[in-house]
Amino acid sequence: MASICKASKEIARLSSRSVYPNASLRGFQSCSKTLAAQNFTMPAMSPTMTEGNIASWKVKEGDSFFTGDVLLEIETDKAQMDVEAQDDGKMAKIMQQDGAKGVKVGTRIAVIAETDDDLSGLSIPAEESASTSSPQEETKSDVDASRSSESQAEAPPPSKGEDTPPMESSQSSSSSPPPGKAQKQTYPLYPSIAQLLHEKGLPTSEADKIPASGPKGRLLKGDVLAYLGQISPSYSSEQSARITKLGHLDLSNAKPAPPKEATPPPSTKAQPTTAIELEITETEIAVPISLSSVLSVQKRIQATLGITLPLSTFIARATELANDELPRSTAASTADELFNNILGLNNVSSKTSRGSYMPQITALPDTPFIATAGPQRQPDIYDILTGRASSTIASKRLGGPPAGIMAGSKVGEATNVFSVNAAKGEEKRARVFLERVKTILQVEPGRLIL
Amino acid sequence: MKVACIEKRGALGGTCLNVGCIPSKSLLNNSFMYHQILHDTKKRGIDVGDVKLNLKQMMAAKNTSVDGLTKGVEFLFKKNKVEYIKGTAAFSGENEVKVNLIDGGEQTLRAKNIIIATGSEATPFPGLTIDEKKVITSTGAIALESVPKKMVVIGGGIIGLEMGSVWSRLGSEVTVVEFLGQIGGPGMDAEISKTTKKILEKQGMKFKLNTKVLEGDANGEGVKLKVEAAKGGKEETLDADVVLVAIGRRPYTAGLGLENIGLEVDNKGRLVIDEQYRTKLPHIRVIGDCTFGPMLAHKAEEEAVAAIEYMKKGYGHVNYNAIPSVMYTHPEVAWVGQNETEMKEQGVKYKTGSFPFSANSRAKTNLETEGMVKFIADAETDRILGIHIVGPNAGEMIAEGVLALEYGASSEDVGRTSHAHPTLAEAFKEAAMSTYGKAIHY
Repeated sequence: MASICKASKEIARLSSRSVYPNASLRGFQSCSKTLAAQNFTMPAMSPTMTEGNIASWKVKEGDSFFTGDVLLEIETDKAQMDVEAQDDGKMAKIMQQDGAKGVKVGTRIAVIAETDDDLSGLSIPAEESASTSSPQEETKSDVDASRSSESQAEAPPPSKGEDTPPMESSQSSSSSPPPGKAQKQTYPLYPSIAQLLHEKGLPTSEADKIPASGPKGRLLKGDVLAYLGQISPSYSSEQSARITKLGHLDLSNAKPAPPKEATPPPSTKAQPTTAIELEITETEIAVPISLSSVLSVQKRIQATLGITLPLSTFIARATELANDELPRSTAASTADELFNNILGLNNVSSKTSRGSYMPQITALPDTPFIATAGPQRQPDIYDILTGRASSTIASKRLGGPPAGIMAGSKVGEATNVFSVNAAKGEEKRARVFLERVKTILQVEPGRLIL
Repeated sequence: MKVACIEKRGALGGTCLNVGCIPSKSLLNNSFMYHQILHDTKKRGIDVGDVKLNLKQMMAAKNTSVDGLTKGVEFLFKKNKVEYIKGTAAFSGENEVKVNLIDGGEQTLRAKNIIIATGSEATPFPGLTIDEKKVITSTGAIALESVPKKMVVIGGGIIGLEMGSVWSRLGSEVTVVEFLGQIGGPGMDAEISKTTKKILEKQGMKFKLNTKVLEGDANGEGVKLKVEAAKGGKEETLDADVVLVAIGRRPYTAGLGLENIGLEVDNKGRLVIDEQYRTKLPHIRVIGDCTFGPMLAHKAEEEAVAAIEYMKKGYGHVNYNAIPSVMYTHPEVAWVGQNETEMKEQGVKYKTGSFPFSANSRAKTNLETEGMVKFIADAETDRILGIHIVGPNAGEMIAEGVLALEYGASSEDVGRTSHAHPTLAEAFKEAAMSTYGKAIHY
């Protein structure tokens, strides 16, 4: 027998953990709770428990307690059990002393406060209705309570907390369609509304006469309550206006940040600076390549087929081939690559990628045709003057139209310098590209046209 | 419409699918199973022999899920003839976007309408450099190679608690440091937050609320964090092998070239828009994390649909009051609408009703009785203003609450709707009943 008692005590204690904090919330609460002091009611230690005796309090008035501390011992006809504190707090007042018999579940037995509350200045909250009253009575008393508070709400708002509602309603009346127009209810009535109408002996068709404030003109319980005079006539529509406003994205604080003084506006003036800064991080990689074998192939083709293939065609095709499957750059990985690395997504793609290099071709100064041509730096000066920002743009311009190459530096002599600009960390990639161009043009240029 | 989507990650789906919601849910689910086998099956009559964690395989399972889903999106693109361009885009004109392709080269796109949906990134903690190994964000937290002995989570919001849960279940000693006085972020109802904290504490997580992190030092073997009470007070040093920075996320628009076309961001980096998601250039719209509102994938989804409806039909709508939030810890926490604190701030008279899962038959049979359902309804009209759940399957159950809010239902409307027996959802119905009247089974 003792063991059974013990077992039931254990179970009761377990369930009380989650049962009891809600005990204070059950039933109807028409006003917001004062957080400072809370009524502590007789907890239901089991689903069937209706009343119990207080065996003894384990804390005194004024005592602080912590979560899990035993506050009191309760006896029922089945067992004796401990009630543990669910929160840190302080015992403000004990209403039902040790030995109280037959205390109904939900009756206030004490008042508790927050740990750091000053008990002397604490107002004891009114007792909430115990579960003895029938639900109907509760509803009535609630309506009464709300009526009396209505007058408060309609009076000019005294507190700053209520400053907003009137503004909201005036805003919404101008922006949204006026809520609360009666209209034919084409959807099934909500269960609460059907119930209310039947309770009041009204025909269902009456619903069409009630101003509806719900989403898309739907009739809400509040609309019917207002229609029946149980709540203020405008309350329901005002509430709907408030909720409609909540439904919109709050852009009231959508103010553009003041432009940062540090960043210069994206004007033309700013660009050259950035271009030059970029220049520093780039290195030019150059490889001398002899075009003699290309020239001989060109001659052979002309002799046998009678057509002249421009040199630019050879170079363009060689570039195309050389750009394939270049090793990936070793530049510091971006945040994205870091993400992908973590995800293992970088394994999906291969270790190589297609490059986008376009070689810049400069003939060597010792060739007779361009004896006056500048040294190797010439393109760079030009680039700076034109505000070139990246190697791609530059190479597009220089490597693009074949006429440009030909006219610019008279390519066609035996040895020319092919160069590309490589960003930091991409030098290897660029070098591989140029070596490939060299191999293709010097060793087997014939394949380019086959 | 002819549509192209530019994505630089190399995989579709964004943060959510690649490094956010989806992979974390995989780990949450599987780590929970592991934890349950270790600690919970015995009392249910299942004796399990040697239980061992194979973290590599757990991560592989996660990657399989992620890969499958990203491929799924790619398939949907193909099916719906959306051109998928892999690269980094930057505005080069009001109707022109220059894309630096992943595979090399450049492509310029011109479009009549442009939608910016570049999302967000984890907000770094000043003074701590993210290396995704020792100092990690959520991205690193879904990819740790071993279970850290000690983990400190900076930020007790949803991300911090979810990832903290994962590693706590797998064996880490997890301490959550939160600046605010409650966990779960400011949106979570205070009462629900308190209940959740207690449950998580029982699972072994430790919390330091009202505590701010002063500085961190990641130079040694592990990471040292100096913390003190937020209101000033005792200072202490926390040691950790891994520190998870989960203090929030910020809009990500770097490199997008907004300045090239004069698009504005506010002081938090959010792109400034109007109610139709338009920037000051009306053909460019913005949705999701990089603009206003909560940073949630399902919010961005609703906005995307609305933005395109504005484009095509001239009207679209998202009900921001009916967007659910879910935290996938165990038990889950879910809510929609407003919480008690907000009601008090706005001076709305309200009533609450709640029902504990310990009185729900299904929860009892499942031996998962922690948590409750809580309704907040207007004191006069009974219209539901907010619903807050902590308990088993809360994330699925909240869908009914969202529907109720969307339709302007009263708690009585829910209470008078039949719910199957025996289900957890009965607790939802009973909580509604206790709001306008009285619960039957409690």
